[in-house]
Amino acid sequence: MKNKNGQMRVIETILASFIIVFALSFANILAITPTSQKYEATELEKLGYNVLHDLDEQGLLARFVYTEEWDDIVAALRVTLPIDVYFNMTVYYLDDTNVTKVNQKPISYGYPETFVTSKNIASITYGLIGYPIGNNSTYQATYDPRIIILQLARG
Amino acid sequence: MNAVYDHIIAILVVGMIFVGAVVVLPTMSIVNLQAVDQQQLRNTALNVFNAMLLDTGEPVDWGSFRSFKMNDPRVQRFGLASAQESKFYVLDPDKVQRLVVGNPMNYCDYTRVRELLGLQNYGFHLRIIPPFNVTFLDTHVTPCCVNYKASVAYLDGTPIPNAQTYATVVYAKGKDYFNITQSGPVGTNPMGICEGTVELGITEPDYYMVTLRVTVADVATLVATSGEPFNNTIAIINVVYDTLVLTSTKDPPDYNEPPNENVWILDIVAIGSQGLLWHLFDGTKAGQDNKFNTGVGTFELWYEDFPGLHDFEPVVFIFNFWAVDPITGLGRQQVLIVMAYPDVLGTSVFDYGGSLKNVRGASVKVQRSVVISSMTYTAELWLWKESP
Repeated sequence: MKNKNGQMRVIETILASFIIVFALSFANILAITPTSQKYEATELEKLGYNVLHDLDEQGLLARFVYTEEWDDIVAALRVTLPIDVYFNMTVYYLDDTNVTKVNQKPISYGYPETFVTSKNIASITYGLIGYPIGNNSTYQATYDPRIIILQLARG
Repeated sequence: MNAVYDHIIAILVVGMIFVGAVVVLPTMSIVNLQAVDQQQLRNTALNVFNAMLLDTGEPVDWGSFRSFKMNDPRVQRFGLASAQESKFYVLDPDKVQRLVVGNPMNYCDYTRVRELLGLQNYGFHLRIIPPFNVTFLDTHVTPCCVNYKASVAYLDGTPIPNAQTYATVVYAKGKDYFNITQSGPVGTNPMGICEGTVELGITEPDYYMVTLRVTVADVATLVATSGEPFNNTIAIINVVYDTLVLTSTKDPPDYNEPPNENVWILDIVAIGSQGLLWHLFDGTKAGQDNKFNTGVGTFELWYEDFPGLHDFEPVVFIFNFWAVDPITGLGRQQVLIVMAYPDVLGTSVFDYGGSLKNVRGASVKVQRSVVISSMTYTAELWLWKESP
């Protein structure tokens, strides 16, 4: 009888171990850890904001967008973003009811399929409220909003 | 006896389960552990990068100390941001210069910067990359003009059309003639090639150098200088805030060795980030305040303060020396030395820190666009863990 009790304890231990292992495995599957991919997209977002804000502060972003110098935007983004970062930018015009795409010409660099296949695409939304006109004595800006969507991916 | 066997078997089975658990459980969660580890490394890298690029350091003007010692103990906190700019990611060229290993005016080495940043258990590598490439294809003189041809391309080699190039030609002839002529802008063609002609004030100069200031989409500017580099035995040009300092080309303590030749500074000209010229100094061949000897005296051969120089944002310095011809070694000539400032940047990549070999897999990289002397660059920081 004693011997049988000992065997049962061993079996119980084995079963208990399996239960613990299964529980931990299950917990691992359910656990949501911040994956590196997610952080990569966040890093690209910060980089994108950094570049757009930099261009805006220099007064170039508004000029490029409102005078539709799309080639210059492509050149500016290519020289300010790292070489392995691909981009795809779209500019929208916003009125009371509609959002209309402004740039008919693509503002992009890199393989277009990268933005379809890549798991890590950062999307940055940047707003411009208008473009100043006039000289120093009659400086004014007309409210004429544009929304810029900049997508970034690693090439 | 049977009970003993039972216990032995039980101990063995429980031992196997224990060993199995120790091996299997960490294996199951290794992916998650690695993700968390990389996340922590990335957070650390971001904090370090922000400290480098957004913080001025302490004291705020530590890069502009005139008597900067090697790993100067007066630097209490590390940061490269300019104290005079309210904008983000604008770096102080004087502080960047203090990272140049071998800077004759001294620098902070990798160990000291790691200590200041509190990164004793980490390794890092800082890289500052120019936004595009400029390559001279040809420069030659016709009797009255200098012709240049250069290519402008993105870092992946794709040509850049419509880049604006501004040329500055520095030239000298005989014993007295020295002049600077500027021209431009000349746009690059669809192949990224620009060709220009600069009319000179004389015919057939003895020495000339072409400096191109290239701007792409009004946002990024780069300066490139033509000419084969020659063995400079006259002086190394250093800039500390408003002061120009010439130091010996020979390493201490053996700087008082031949060749020891008298040199006079005839002209110093600075080109600002917007293309403006500033004739800083005009000397004679008999002056005493503009004379030094390459093998006699202190390591600092000559210095002069030029108030407002730092605010002028110089990107190129032109020195016209009256010295022994460094190429032929015969006779005294006007010798031109053109230096991009900060000289670590120009058109080359600046690297600082630990070696990137064998750490790429376990490292993280963060990048930002930065501005130095009104020129845009990409700064990259690689960070990895090191065993203590």
